[in-house]
Amino acid sequence: MSATSPPNDTKPISREAEAHEEEALGRAYDGRLLLRLWPYVRPYRGQVAGTILLFFPIFLLELAPAWVVAVGLHQILAARDLGETLTTAGSPRSGDLGASWLANFFEPLLLWMNNPPVGIPNAVWLGLIFLAVTALLTLLGYIHQILMATTGQNAMRDLRRHIFGHINRLHMSFFDVIPVGRLVTRATNDVENVSEMFSQGLVALVTDVFKMLGFAIVLFMLSPKLTLWTFAIVPVLAIAAALFRLKVREAFRSVRVKIARINTHIQETVTGMKVVQLFSREARNLAEFDRMNADHRDAWRQSIKYDSLLYATIEVATNMTMAIIIAMSTGLAEAGIIYVFIDYMQRFFLPLRDLSAKYSVMQSAMASSERIFEILDTQPGVEDPVSVAPESAAADRGLVEFDHVWFSYSESDGKAEDSIDWILRDVSFRVEPGEKVAFVGATGAGKTTIIKLLTRLYDVDRGTVRVDGIDVRDLPQQELRRRIATVLQDVFLFSGTIAHNISLGREDLDPEAVERVAQAVEADSFIARLPDGYQTEVLERGANFSTGQRQILSFARAMAHGAHILVLDEATSAIDSETEAAIQRGIHVLMEGKTAIAIAHRLSTIRDVDRIYVLKNGRLIESGSHETLIASGGHYARLYWLQTMHDDSRTSAAQPA
Amino acid sequence: MSGGVPILTQAETGDSPVRHALRRLSVYLRRNWIYYAAWYLVIVLYSGALNTLPLAVGWAIGGVIDVSVNQAEVIERCWVILALAVVGGGLRFVSRMLVFNAAREVEYEIRNDLFEHLQKLPQSFYFRWRTGDLMSRCVNDLNSVRMLLGMGLLSVAQSPILFVGAFIAMCTMSLKLAILMMLPYPLFILISRWVAGRLYPRSLAAQQSLASMSNLVQESIAGIAVVKAYAMEEERAARFEEANQQLRDRQLGLVRAFAAMPALVGLLPAAGLGMVIVVGLGEIAAGRMTTGNLISFTIFVRMLTHPTFMMGFAISLVQRGAAAMQRIDEILSVVPAIADHPDCVELDHLEGSIEFRGLSFRYNDDARDKALDDISIRVPAGTSLGIVGRVGSGKSTLASIIPRLYEVEDGQVFLDGVDINRIGLSTLRSAIAMVPQDSFLFSMSLASNIAYGLPPDATEEAIRVAAERAQLDRDIEDLPFGYDTLVGERGVMLSGGQRQRTALARALALDPSILILDDTLSAVDAETERRIQARLDEVFSGRTVIVVASRVHSVRNLDQIIVLERGRVVERGKHEELMALDGLYARLAAEQAEDEARNRMQSAFPAEPESVAMAERG
Repeated sequence: MSATSPPNDTKPISREAEAHEEEALGRAYDGRLLLRLWPYVRPYRGQVAGTILLFFPIFLLELAPAWVVAVGLHQILAARDLGETLTTAGSPRSGDLGASWLANFFEPLLLWMNNPPVGIPNAVWLGLIFLAVTALLTLLGYIHQILMATTGQNAMRDLRRHIFGHINRLHMSFFDVIPVGRLVTRATNDVENVSEMFSQGLVALVTDVFKMLGFAIVLFMLSPKLTLWTFAIVPVLAIAAALFRLKVREAFRSVRVKIARINTHIQETVTGMKVVQLFSREARNLAEFDRMNADHRDAWRQSIKYDSLLYATIEVATNMTMAIIIAMSTGLAEAGIIYVFIDYMQRFFLPLRDLSAKYSVMQSAMASSERIFEILDTQPGVEDPVSVAPESAAADRGLVEFDHVWFSYSESDGKAEDSIDWILRDVSFRVEPGEKVAFVGATGAGKTTIIKLLTRLYDVDRGTVRVDGIDVRDLPQQELRRRIATVLQDVFLFSGTIAHNISLGREDLDPEAVERVAQAVEADSFIARLPDGYQTEVLERGANFSTGQRQILSFARAMAHGAHILVLDEATSAIDSETEAAIQRGIHVLMEGKTAIAIAHRLSTIRDVDRIYVLKNGRLIESGSHETLIASGGHYARLYWLQTMHDDSRTSAAQPA
Repeated sequence: MSGGVPILTQAETGDSPVRHALRRLSVYLRRNWIYYAAWYLVIVLYSGALNTLPLAVGWAIGGVIDVSVNQAEVIERCWVILALAVVGGGLRFVSRMLVFNAAREVEYEIRNDLFEHLQKLPQSFYFRWRTGDLMSRCVNDLNSVRMLLGMGLLSVAQSPILFVGAFIAMCTMSLKLAILMMLPYPLFILISRWVAGRLYPRSLAAQQSLASMSNLVQESIAGIAVVKAYAMEEERAARFEEANQQLRDRQLGLVRAFAAMPALVGLLPAAGLGMVIVVGLGEIAAGRMTTGNLISFTIFVRMLTHPTFMMGFAISLVQRGAAAMQRIDEILSVVPAIADHPDCVELDHLEGSIEFRGLSFRYNDDARDKALDDISIRVPAGTSLGIVGRVGSGKSTLASIIPRLYEVEDGQVFLDGVDINRIGLSTLRSAIAMVPQDSFLFSMSLASNIAYGLPPDATEEAIRVAAERAQLDRDIEDLPFGYDTLVGERGVMLSGGQRQRTALARALALDPSILILDDTLSAVDAETERRIQARLDEVFSGRTVIVVASRVHSVRNLDQIIVLERGRVVERGKHEELMALDGLYARLAAEQAEDEARNRMQSAFPAEPESVAMAERG
């Protein structure tokens, strides 16, 4: 027991340890994960190609400004040293820096720069070229960014759609074990993280690598010797970056685990706020929260330190290269070439500067995509038939059959027969169209399981469940559930109007139909008292309705559904007897000729059933009408008489002293 | 811990929502002024070191060009560059540390304040605000505010200092060129105003879109049982598609509004450099400036390009952050409707007598009918009251008013003769143990859930006793981890009855003067309910007990019973008296009598351990 320690420090039993472990996953780069993201980008590969193609003109244009400055400097120096006129000055000599062929390659361009059209002074001409190049670069950069963002946003929209669609198809048992908040995070924040990677990390990373390569090549062409000298810094930086990666990885992980904890805590506290306030836990909660929150802040201190260190190191290195270039080129080169060299060298180092930011974006994106794919990899469990059985078009009449059904919630494969915890054992029954039946039995006897198998929230292990003569596995799930209307124990109201919560978005239900149904189940009286009647908005968690009213709305839903089979799953616990009786009368009218299957703790919902099935330990032991069962003197009858006698004595004993 | 939520209401300041939000933000900044002051100092020093660097580079390159300077001296000048680079790097390290840590500190304080504030807000607040929306504000918006305080502030505040430093350094070389260099910059203000004006509403719209989508997902998953049972997948998918597309459009709109910013801003230093080249070449030709100086100028341009860029980028962070702060401020500005009265009556102990005097109550969120209308009852300490009535008659509302979950006007509800609005909330609530209708359990062990209202040093014994009173002890023993079993969202699945009994145990662990049961045992079978009731009679004799029930049999033996109909008391008395009245109560009882026989029979089934099914699924 852990009541003496803070509740959040409960021993890592059951699933908690795993749950937190999960948050800690994530490598910075994972080719496999990137590959899996590709299908979402694929439809937009034209845009991706455009983005990549744009890189080349952008790179070439980035080379230009330095040359413009270099030409200008050369002209000045040439004019000063040799007394030549500016207009006839040649290209900058590459001198001992070598690679004169590069200069030759640029010869026509340089000549063009050196010879302005008549009437324009040389300096103005260079200024204009400079501005034109920068403007063009700006324009291409803009297009590049828009293209990239559009691709990313489109891909993320598709990813979100896929996640949402997949979650909707998942097996019910999946939702039993995964908190709502976590699934919401998958479809929202995790996708945002991946989107960040698209807009900031991945493409930038690829173009950065291209750029650095490009500049390195050009630098080598200009002067292999100078380049080698300045690149002596690169191994130092590589070591710094590797160390950073190592150090920061752990820091990032611990930060992510901590923020996940904080957000789960907020979500839970908000959901259970009534209990928090009723039990005056505010102060203790705040103290616990403060500790988590402070932990998170402190965890960041580490990664901030490393991040700042890396950033500063790269800045120092970039500036140091200027000193190296100048020191190494004394007496060798001229100012223009030195300038070009410095410019390119700085552009080479620039992408490294935001490395830590990109690293963190990539890492959280990888962690997020890993978690997203974990969901997407979860098999739906219950699959629609590949080809729809021809009989599925058959008219729905309301016939329900269970044929030697065995079922267990645990995996039954490969287990010894006697070690399987069967919930249902060899259950067979047949409910004719229009018949009303009820299942009775203690909690855990398997009553609710029968409903779950009928609506195919789970699949049977052995035997067959048939609706209207068709195996439920041969019917598309939506089609199956259209034939069955379930009044659920747990009444969930969606945001939207009351009318919408009854029709549940079915367009073929006009307002009159909704009202007719509401009248039948006695919902009309309280809906009419609402300010906007059927158009009243439901508040968060259906807070403007009492539990009983919500259960009545749940009835209305089922009735509006118009199915031929109605399933009642302990639906009336919070409804008073009078209202319930009224609902019963309404249901009778609406359910004329339809099949009804009821399960109830309180047997009131089954007062007029045609037949009662008695379940015990997963087996059907008796069936028949109340009178037949009593008359047959079986299990049902014995317990009935025993209980009646017992109850008499209880009533007298329980009188207040 | 922070010093509490800064009190700031819109009415007082009369500001626009953004200004109000930023004013609140400034409170946090002022609280951490040491960080920011130190950071500012470091930035000024950094600006000095950084702006000396281009001068040194020009000086060194000048040495290369000038044949009169020998190589050794050039190398000496290079050492100066190196030294400046290292000093600058060191200062850069410190400045980044300071500003990012400050941002985390403020984030921490705002998050704490948000949490503290949320805990103070009454139920009526949680009716209006959706969980998904609240979460989005606590997570996404807070994140944006932190970005504003870190990266945003870093760039916006640091860039002008760098520019001033650069301008001074450039003036030492040529005033004319320095002015030319800076000439395009006033345009920055125009550009950023234009972009920011478009950015702010788009940021707000994008954040809202994100919140509404997360709310939609939240709802679809929370209601998945309904979605599946009613084949609503397509309807949900259509709604999602709409929200999804809207989010994509709005986020793209945001990018479009912003993408022009760095592009346009990047042109500014280039325009400056263009002019410098044009004029500078003439200046050198005229002998008024050295070639080294011109090179320094070009290095300045390179150096200033990045901060200019960042400043442009920061505009988007600032706009987004301001929009986010506005959304956070909306929560923090909600004044808790239920709080301690300024002149509270000090009470050491509550005896537990309750009196309603003409109590009327209306949910303030809409114009619904009165939920409670002119209710007057006296419940002497130590007696019991049953509240029955039809669905929606106001039973739960009446019970919830006693621990002040809803706000009532003065002079309507009294405990021990004191107006409940005058009793301190913690005094009041610790005297009451209430079991709400929905048995919400937290993601902790069963033991911790039961001990939820107990002090942290509660003994195992106290927990076991509470479990036994709620008839939960045998169920717990059957669980794989017993009392340590995790429940709640992340834990095992308990049956509805087990959840209700856990919630009951949580209340029974306390030693209250008043016990309120709000239709607590609806999912518990009749036999267990009978045993629980027997234990309750024993444990709670001499205390005030309020029982809300939709079934008459749960209140049959209580000292007095009231029957509510549309918020009014229509009948009152003991069971026998009410039966004799032959009114609503008698009708409810008659409807029920028919069920009783079958219910009794139902409860006679030998209980099979619920945990069998549970353990399989858990």
